[in-house]
Amino acid sequence: MAQVVLKALSKSWDSVVAVDAIDLTIEDGEFAAILGPSGCGKSTTLLMLTGVYMPTGGDILFDGARVNDVESRHRNIGIVFQSYALYPNMTALQNIMFPLRFQKIPDAEVRAREIADLVQVGELLNRKPSQLSGGQQQRVALARALVKRPNLLLLDEPLSNLDATLRLTMRAEIRRITRELGVTTILVTHDQLEATTMADRVICMNAGRIEQVGTAEDLYLRPQTLFVAGFIGSPPINLIAGTVQDFILKAGSTSLQVSCATGEVTVGLRPEMLIPSEHGLAARVIHVEPMGRETLTTVDTDFGPLRLLEAVARPNWKVGDRLALAFKREDSILFGSDAQRIDGAMADLVGSVDA
Amino acid sequence: MVDVPTQTFRTTETGPDWDRLAATSRRDRRLKISALTVFLVAVSIPIVLPYFWMVMIAFTARTGGADADTLWTACAILVPVTLAYVVGYQALSARYRTLGLIAAILIAGALLWFFLGDDLHLNNFRFMINPNIVEDIRGAATAGGQFPWVWTAFGNSLILAGTQTVIVVTVSTLAAYYLSRFSFRGRSAFLQSLLVLQAFPAITLVIPIFLIVFWVGLLNTLYAPILVLTALELPFFIFIMKGFFDAVPWDIEMSAMTDGASRRQAFWMVVLPQVRIGMIAIGVFSFIKGWEEYIFVTALRTGNSYWVMSTYLYYVREDVMGVDYGMVAAVSLLYVMPSLVLYLFCQKYLTQMTIGGVKG
Repeated sequence: MAQVVLKALSKSWDSVVAVDAIDLTIEDGEFAAILGPSGCGKSTTLLMLTGVYMPTGGDILFDGARVNDVESRHRNIGIVFQSYALYPNMTALQNIMFPLRFQKIPDAEVRAREIADLVQVGELLNRKPSQLSGGQQQRVALARALVKRPNLLLLDEPLSNLDATLRLTMRAEIRRITRELGVTTILVTHDQLEATTMADRVICMNAGRIEQVGTAEDLYLRPQTLFVAGFIGSPPINLIAGTVQDFILKAGSTSLQVSCATGEVTVGLRPEMLIPSEHGLAARVIHVEPMGRETLTTVDTDFGPLRLLEAVARPNWKVGDRLALAFKREDSILFGSDAQRIDGAMADLVGSVDA
Repeated sequence: MVDVPTQTFRTTETGPDWDRLAATSRRDRRLKISALTVFLVAVSIPIVLPYFWMVMIAFTARTGGADADTLWTACAILVPVTLAYVVGYQALSARYRTLGLIAAILIAGALLWFFLGDDLHLNNFRFMINPNIVEDIRGAATAGGQFPWVWTAFGNSLILAGTQTVIVVTVSTLAAYYLSRFSFRGRSAFLQSLLVLQAFPAITLVIPIFLIVFWVGLLNTLYAPILVLTALELPFFIFIMKGFFDAVPWDIEMSAMTDGASRRQAFWMVVLPQVRIGMIAIGVFSFIKGWEEYIFVTALRTGNSYWVMSTYLYYVREDVMGVDYGMVAAVSLLYVMPSLVLYLFCQKYLTQMTIGGVKG
């Protein structure tokens, strides 16, 4: 088990910068998730941790020791790939025992069977990977990654190839196993649900840089950048962009009063923070999507289309309805022209209309 | 809440006539299959008949002439039996089909034995036990000491085909892995040149190759055709093997290295088993190319320094007194056997191969 520190870690190919000087500390036994859209550099970071890629700058420290030049086979890392990467020519047991072949372990098979029981594939050990279902392959891959008692467990989009129900069980299952073993774990994913449900801490990356590090709640309620606000949350946040003059952001007959004087701003409002009320922002319903537990309604306003999420199974509105929308000023999030959050800034409605 | 559709689609009063449509479709399918069968049988005849002729002549010819009577007798037996079996195959249910096949084979065997039993003999195969067959036939004065025993030629052919197969499989596997996995200066140019090389007919190189082999001092040795054939085959086989390696996911290799394997161990333990089919396929193809090679084995010897099966067959055929077709056919049959056996054993691997990739 190890603490992992990345210091100004960079990777570039010719002119393409994949990872741009990121600093990060992952504590011993922590479950961290690196979250970002494809191409944000998260997989590159992961492959630098494994030693498959050599960093072009910066350092990787395991428990304070620099491991940049240590070959991947000596780093004692377990990894689970999205494709599971099981060796098709070997049985499940041979797959799980594979990492032990390179160490002198007398009771290798006993250990492999123990870990197989932990991930609940004890019955399937004589099968080839092609005879296993996706979920079973996933468990075998996890067992293989854990069998050598790694310092660090890396999970690269481990749940993407599973169906929705299985994903739900495997999320809890992986969390249970890592907690039981106390292994430091880094999950790489583009799925915010995976990251926020499993990880103690989420590292949100974009374009090779770390945008924000925090808990799921931090990222959702207190996004520090416009990117995080837009990336986290489904359905996505409403963003109203415009130019402020004398504390007023004006569009058509509607105005927002904002607590900064001038300049380009973007106001962010989560869909569930918009509340239909007696008076407020004039809106007309253009689309209604019942989603089971909730209903997503798209409305047209002077600020463009906005999404409104209500916790009702049966839609309150139908297309063409007119309504007024209000929100609490402390729920609004303001971003400056540099896409960074303006701390403490809020927006409020002025000149509202009655419903 | 939900909008009620204002317009509904209506079906016609009667609806389509499903039975008639089904009957039409059944009839069309049957016609198509019949036409296809007839076409395939017709184009198979020119390929199947000569081989059949070869087998029949080898076992029946007595005078040395290309007597075709037995061939037609055999055809007269086999064609009706085969047709009957095909018809029966369509009519019988699956569990009786194997029985039908066995019955057809037994009937054909019995009929052949009855009508042709007296004509069958192994005399044409006497070259296999007589080391000096040509001398015995033509006299020591004309052919003394020039002509080897067939097993010498057979052995040389095995050495030629086998050695170059080993070299081709080893080199193209390693080269293709490197081309598939590593980037280096000139990689794309190298890949393109692999294909360009394949575009030139190798026969145009015969004279320069002869001169090089002569200068190197390998003329009239078996090394010459081995090395030349290997060199000529490598580009194409490297290209095919690269396709197989490209189909092996990177993840597997990265996973093996993270699991503690060195790159070489990952290659041996994890990657190589994935391209086994490719190695078998190029092995078979390259063996058969070496086995059937005629041009370069003839071009790279100036006398009778080494004999392989193709040159042996050529020599058996060459006679001013008239050709002993019975023996030519018998030698041909021996010549075909290794390729045939190899194909039969490796057939299931070969059918899984597509150029530029593996099917999992």
